[in-house]
Amino acid sequence: MSHPAPTVGIIVNPASGRDLRRLTASAGLYSSTDKASAVQRLLAAFAATGIRRVLLPPDMTGIAAAVLKASNGPQAAGQRWPQLDILDMPLRQTVEDTRLAARQMLARGVALIAVLGGDGTHKAVAAEVGDIPLLTLSTGTNNAFPELREATSAGLAGGLFAAGRIPAQVGLRRNKRLLVRDPARELCEWALVEVAVSPQRFIGARALSRAEDLAEVFATFAEPHAIGLSALCGLWCPVSRHAAEGAWVRLNGQAEQALLAPLAPGLVQGCGITAAGPLAPGVAYSLSLSSGTLALDGEREIEFSEHDRPTVTLDAHGPLSIDVEAVLAFAARHRLLAVGREHPQHPAHPQC
Amino acid sequence: MSTHLNTEQLLHAYRVMRTIRAFEERLHIEFATGEIPGFVHLYAGEEASAAGVMAHLRDSDCIASNHRGHGHCIAKGVDVHGMMAEIYGKKTGVCGGKGGSMHIADLEKGMLGANGIVGAGAPLVAGAALAAKLKGTDDVAVVFFGDGGSNEGAVFEAMNLAAIMNLPCIFVAENNGYAEATASNWSVACDHIADRAAGFGMPGVTIDGYDFFAVHEAAGAAIERARSGQGPSLVEVKLTRYYGHFEGDAQTYRAPDEVKNLRETRDCLMQFRQRTTRAGLLGDAQLDLVDAQVEDLIEDAVRRAKSDPKPQPADLLSDVYVAYP
Repeated sequence: MSHPAPTVGIIVNPASGRDLRRLTASAGLYSSTDKASAVQRLLAAFAATGIRRVLLPPDMTGIAAAVLKASNGPQAAGQRWPQLDILDMPLRQTVEDTRLAARQMLARGVALIAVLGGDGTHKAVAAEVGDIPLLTLSTGTNNAFPELREATSAGLAGGLFAAGRIPAQVGLRRNKRLLVRDPARELCEWALVEVAVSPQRFIGARALSRAEDLAEVFATFAEPHAIGLSALCGLWCPVSRHAAEGAWVRLNGQAEQALLAPLAPGLVQGCGITAAGPLAPGVAYSLSLSSGTLALDGEREIEFSEHDRPTVTLDAHGPLSIDVEAVLAFAARHRLLAVGREHPQHPAHPQC
Repeated sequence: MSTHLNTEQLLHAYRVMRTIRAFEERLHIEFATGEIPGFVHLYAGEEASAAGVMAHLRDSDCIASNHRGHGHCIAKGVDVHGMMAEIYGKKTGVCGGKGGSMHIADLEKGMLGANGIVGAGAPLVAGAALAAKLKGTDDVAVVFFGDGGSNEGAVFEAMNLAAIMNLPCIFVAENNGYAEATASNWSVACDHIADRAAGFGMPGVTIDGYDFFAVHEAAGAAIERARSGQGPSLVEVKLTRYYGHFEGDAQTYRAPDEVKNLRETRDCLMQFRQRTTRAGLLGDAQLDLVDAQVEDLIEDAVRRAKSDPKPQPADLLSDVYVAYP
């Protein structure tokens, strides 16, 4: 099969993996060095699957610089890494950098965007790029949307798909989303995993991981093995990524029954559950609190008070993402990674 | 940590931040007159950090600061007139007018001192934290240093000591993006100062230093952790300074609109007012009253400092040597 060499984008959130939960829970660190290494692993995999150009945003934390340096090294030459284009964009060191990078990649016609970050990073990219598929990689703290995967194997799956070697019906899945709307404030924000309603009045340090800070959780999907706020639904009223509906739970410390839920790494909390149920698509749910904050995919982002009327609606118009397991299973069945003697990485090739 | 602060606590936080801002903006004007001896390094723009951390401390907790120390002193409760007089080199200053801006100290308030040596506060607070631990109190010690200080060996030695001795010590890295004129994204390897905590086996977090509530919440968690015997931690607060490294710095290393944009979009006082009033927790009239009171306080401090007496030659050796019996 012959396809034009596609361009792929990589977006890394330089800030992920450093929030309060390193103090309040036992969350680990995902350093800039680790992130730069993960990008290099992706590049090696993209190289092996025929990707010839990769777009990467600049950043203030040395990730792009480290990757650029490595791309001029012998390993990159030996593996024939794709050409690396650093996007020309101003940096604000806020989520707006992620959004701008996503828009630039959309304009450059990328076939795929690999996202390294937490649920919030994926949400920010997804809201900008329409139906460009996302290759999701977790470098956050409590991640449910991106699965925990090694970047090399995920990169092979993403590269094979971007190179046009995987049928869409095999390699792509459509995700659900939650929309938080308040027309009076011209507010319309996305969440890909959950929206949590908190009595905390301010965004503060953003992360939520205490039962008393939670009044209600709406989830697009909730898996029993999840970590983070969606685990509340996952261990009480689980719902799969593929089901049409979502789930919700309401919490109160005075409830008869409390659920032991892993709200953050190393932090299993007793959370009083007063009610729960399925979340019907297309229905605008109002909140159980009149003032507080809304955490979108684990981080408080919206403060609301008595005069606001935000609602939460589930729909099926979330992003497309690469089903890594399905892609690699297909690749194995069809020997897509088999190469002949003419391939430079074949052990009998003169260049090898 | 909860951000459920009551009205009194919210007003106190605002008063601290407003006092720091007014103090520094007045010094910016007064320094240009040439009346103030030595250098001053202004803290304006970074107020949420000092106010957010110090909201959790008591007089028996110690802090050590750096050359940009006015904000830490005010937030720790050091007398504003005493500070102004110290900066003017007057006998009524908190150190008798012999320290100046970079050496303001007030041990009764647990303020071990601003410090002209980059990173030198860190070993001091490790010592203070060791003292608290040996005495069996639940006091903590906090050091403030910058992105430049984060590269100093003394800071790493103090972190190592704090970690191996499990000291109630909090390392607050105020990363304002520049060590004097050198950008931190050039000079700090691994860029995120918080990442360095992992090398010492302590937690490190990065916090938005424009948001009082973010700093308050993170510092609260770190301080609570230290008080309860769980050891040291590193809090990196990302913020900016509104003025130069020192007064007179032409700041040719900064983009022309950098400060203007940050002042207009992220200023900590502006955010605090907007969010507390929108939430219905404070009213504009309450905050305006604080503004007016702070203005009077600063005016009074400057007027008195200017007219206060200078130290005399006979004062030269007082408070310098310990008199042993």
